Amino acid sequence: MLRASVWISLAYLLTPSLSLENYKEDLRVQPLRDGRVSTAFSFVTVLDGVVPRNPTALEQPDESQHYALFPLTLGQILREYAITELHLTLNAGKWNYDDWGHPLEASVRTGAELWAWMGASEVTTVDERWSGLRNALSGLFCASLGSLDSRRTTSPVVAFPLSGSTPPFAQHELRHASLPSENVCTENLTPFLKLLPCKSRAGLAALLNPQKVFDADWHGMGVHVIWKEGTGVELKLTLQAVFNPARSSAGKRRDWSLQSLFDRSIERSCPVASSSSVSVVLPEEVNYQITPQIAHVEGSAIYDLSSSSNSTIPSNIAMHWPSEHSFQYPMPPLQPLTPLSVKRTLHGTTQTRGVLSVSITNNSPQEISAGYLEIIPALLTLWMHTLEVETNSEIRSDLLSDLKYQPPSRQPNGHLSPSMVQAVLTIPPKSTLKISVEVNKAFLKYTEHPPDAMRGWELPGAVFFPLPQSANNISSSYDWEMIYTPTLLVDLPTPDFSMPYNVIILSCTLMTLIFGSFFNLLTRKWVVVEIKE
Amino acid sequence: MNSAAFASSGLKDPRKINFERNWVRRAVLASYWVVIVLAFPFWWHLTSIERLALPTSQVRTQVQNNIVFPITVHFDGSFTHQNPSIVSQVHTLLRDSATSEHERWKGIDLRLRGADDEEAFDSYTVVLGERTSIAHSRQLRVSETDAQSAKRLSCLLSDLIANSESSISHSQRIVQYSDHYRLAFTLLHENATPRRFVETWDVQNALAEFVLPLLSKLSVLHNFTVESQVQYHAPLAFEPKRIFLGETEVSGLTQEDLTVFINSAEWTLSSSVSNDPVLHFVLFVPSETHAPLKIIDGEGRPTSQNSFLLPQWGGIFILNDELDSPSSHLSQDKLEPVFRNFAIQLAALLGVPPVPLGLSVGERPILSDWQLDALLRRRALQNVQGTQDTLYSIVKLVDQIDNMPVGQVVRDDILDALASLHEAYRAAATSPAIALRWSSKALSVASRAFFNPGMLALLYFPAEHKYAVYTPLFASISVPLVVALIREFMA
Repeated sequence: MLRASVWISLAYLLTPSLSLENYKEDLRVQPLRDGRVSTAFSFVTVLDGVVPRNPTALEQPDESQHYALFPLTLGQILREYAITELHLTLNAGKWNYDDWGHPLEASVRTGAELWAWMGASEVTTVDERWSGLRNALSGLFCASLGSLDSRRTTSPVVAFPLSGSTPPFAQHELRHASLPSENVCTENLTPFLKLLPCKSRAGLAALLNPQKVFDADWHGMGVHVIWKEGTGVELKLTLQAVFNPARSSAGKRRDWSLQSLFDRSIERSCPVASSSSVSVVLPEEVNYQITPQIAHVEGSAIYDLSSSSNSTIPSNIAMHWPSEHSFQYPMPPLQPLTPLSVKRTLHGTTQTRGVLSVSITNNSPQEISAGYLEIIPALLTLWMHTLEVETNSEIRSDLLSDLKYQPPSRQPNGHLSPSMVQAVLTIPPKSTLKISVEVNKAFLKYTEHPPDAMRGWELPGAVFFPLPQSANNISSSYDWEMIYTPTLLVDLPTPDFSMPYNVIILSCTLMTLIFGSFFNLLTRKWVVVEIKE
Repeated sequence: MNSAAFASSGLKDPRKINFERNWVRRAVLASYWVVIVLAFPFWWHLTSIERLALPTSQVRTQVQNNIVFPITVHFDGSFTHQNPSIVSQVHTLLRDSATSEHERWKGIDLRLRGADDEEAFDSYTVVLGERTSIAHSRQLRVSETDAQSAKRLSCLLSDLIANSESSISHSQRIVQYSDHYRLAFTLLHENATPRRFVETWDVQNALAEFVLPLLSKLSVLHNFTVESQVQYHAPLAFEPKRIFLGETEVSGLTQEDLTVFINSAEWTLSSSVSNDPVLHFVLFVPSETHAPLKIIDGEGRPTSQNSFLLPQWGGIFILNDELDSPSSHLSQDKLEPVFRNFAIQLAALLGVPPVPLGLSVGERPILSDWQLDALLRRRALQNVQGTQDTLYSIVKLVDQIDNMPVGQVVRDDILDALASLHEAYRAAATSPAIALRWSSKALSVASRAFFNPGMLALLYFPAEHKYAVYTPLFASISVPLVVALIREFMA
């Protein structure tokens, strides 16, 4: 028996898992119309011919992992918990869809968002592995992902489908959770950079100066692992930041250069990167200058930085507007850059009730169908019978279809899972759709409040997503991507935490007073005292 | 005022009113006290800590016990024929050594058998041979010259059976026992530049060739997970010394540098996925400015050594070879010295006893059964001692701290550890491997009991805190109750 297991494990160790690894990096820079500059780094490592671990074989020893470019620390987590697909994003700030358009990397939810597709298995359940994954990732990225427990976990399979291929070995399940109050900072960037083969010492990642990145108006990072049949496991690390040169420059000019944005320059290329490039999306106006000059390809200038190319590394890429004295913000009204604009608010004067309302504006001359997903922690109870859909001040219930509502359910550990609302909205052209629903706010136990209880609770943003293309859909000219709304702050009834001992003494005194008078009345001896006159 | 006066004034006599009778008042008072007295046991039960009785006496007796491995060494007939008294001479020498070096021979019950005795099934044998060597499993061949000297024989046998831990530094570099280790092999570039870097290495074949045979031998003791990675930028935390050797200039690492060589802040070596101990083996490629990087001795001269071992952490090999830049691939041939070295370091870290001096290993060069048995015995003994210490500490701690809760889980773990310990004692007579497995189980269960989080529950919630919460209510309520009682007795 022992011998057999030894030979099995030896056979595993000896299995030649011939994997070819490939690493690519690129940076896309896009000047925006409000004078800001959007930058998006992406670092892609592909493990050729590798298949995600089969969760039904979790109790057997795993084949040994040998990586050259793929980060071992992440590979261990993926294999230990048999993760097929993983997406983790940590963002700070609110993405301004109207002025910035769709982001280059779609996941821009404020705070932390984690979702993973895992094969079901009888050895360890998906939920056990999900909890292990959260804790391992929070250790790796120094983020509070451990608190993404069953109070925040749902399985919205329509909005977050598998982006790669489905492995044949098991039925796959989705786990999704988000933490809007997560603050993203340097301690998350440092482990992120350690996952890159060249760290921040060579190649494009050398630009990533934490002081500048975290000073940007919007910044966020993402880790995406997907498996594609025929290709293998693909790890994509992304980092986006939206800078505001008009704010930081003295003359309020929107001129930018890599040096001014990051305060660093690329001195040498990463020797293991098979391709490394910077592409600048050129604005439609013509009064700009870009240095160094290069031939334009489809409206963008592409600079090759890889070590194999013969060209030398351009020390600095810069764009300026010589005819402009200082940047003039474009005058409103401006046509939003995305076909949909969304506003979401929570109003109401009391601490116990409120109304959640969402207004969606279709900016395009064509009808748009959108999926709508709302994941609300059990802090709020939705009264679904009060749901109203309204456009042009008339109630139009027919514009909301396929409504699915999953009420909060009590989990084995006593927590309530979030409620989930999923619906398909049809938004008429050039009009605004308003949805409102009444909510009740929860009264929490005093131990359930966070340390800064008076701040309130953050409510994760809603998601609007394009529906899977069906055959009769013709609206290809109005392509749009997933839209996240900003987070909301919920003000729950909060006790006074400052003086528990005073409260104990005060209430005890009151109790004693009541007890004493009762006791006195019951045991007092009444006598008549004769008064001598 | 008498009753007549009451009658005339139209008032009622208070003593005649139903609820003003003495016994009613006393009943009211008594009922309060009855409630208090009856409630007391409930309150006591609800606020007391669960403290189950531990098998203290069992623990104390088990701590006294010791694991004993009986070992029989069989001397071949040809051997005793030559010098009939040799067996008894060796026996006296070994017995002397056992009494003088008690720690070394702990747990070993050695018996020597001459030719006439019945040969046991799995005993060690000593035969005459051409030269002193370890032949097949558990057989020692001794050359004729060595066979003459009882001193030499007893030396050989004691080194093979009870290997002496020659110095404290030797025993301290051995990693703590665990039934599962992760072995992480890392190709670490100090700074990869296109002119000096290794893009790939033939790690899987090198491992299969040089390390796996050792791992399969050691699989009786441990399970291993093997993994490897390549890091392209891993700077040192210090600047190596520059030394001039005639014309050439080299960088040198002093003994102090070696202790701070690992730059754990910048090298991504740690694993966050499991609690299994990790042994790291690093092939370090110095940067262009630091190559070649030599280890220097106390007098500042570079040594020929390219590798060093960090106690309980792993091993490091510095690659000073010239790299032919276009290929940037380390083939299995080039990795041979590196991985042979890693295998030796791994054996040292896991506490594999070295082969005694002047003894050739014969046809099985990796690890002889003599060494493996000695290792099994030592690890089992260490585990047993560790378990005994842990159990004793738990019992002592629970005795000392009255507020410490002891739950069913802790109690069960301790009983389980005691039972496993008992099994280990029993198995020692037949198989050291089985004894090791039981002792390892006993140790892990005992430490689980020791670190049980439930035992900490009330450590930071002292009794004073409780009184501070109770006094405002109970002190003020008890005053009227007691006063009423006293007044009733005085009356």
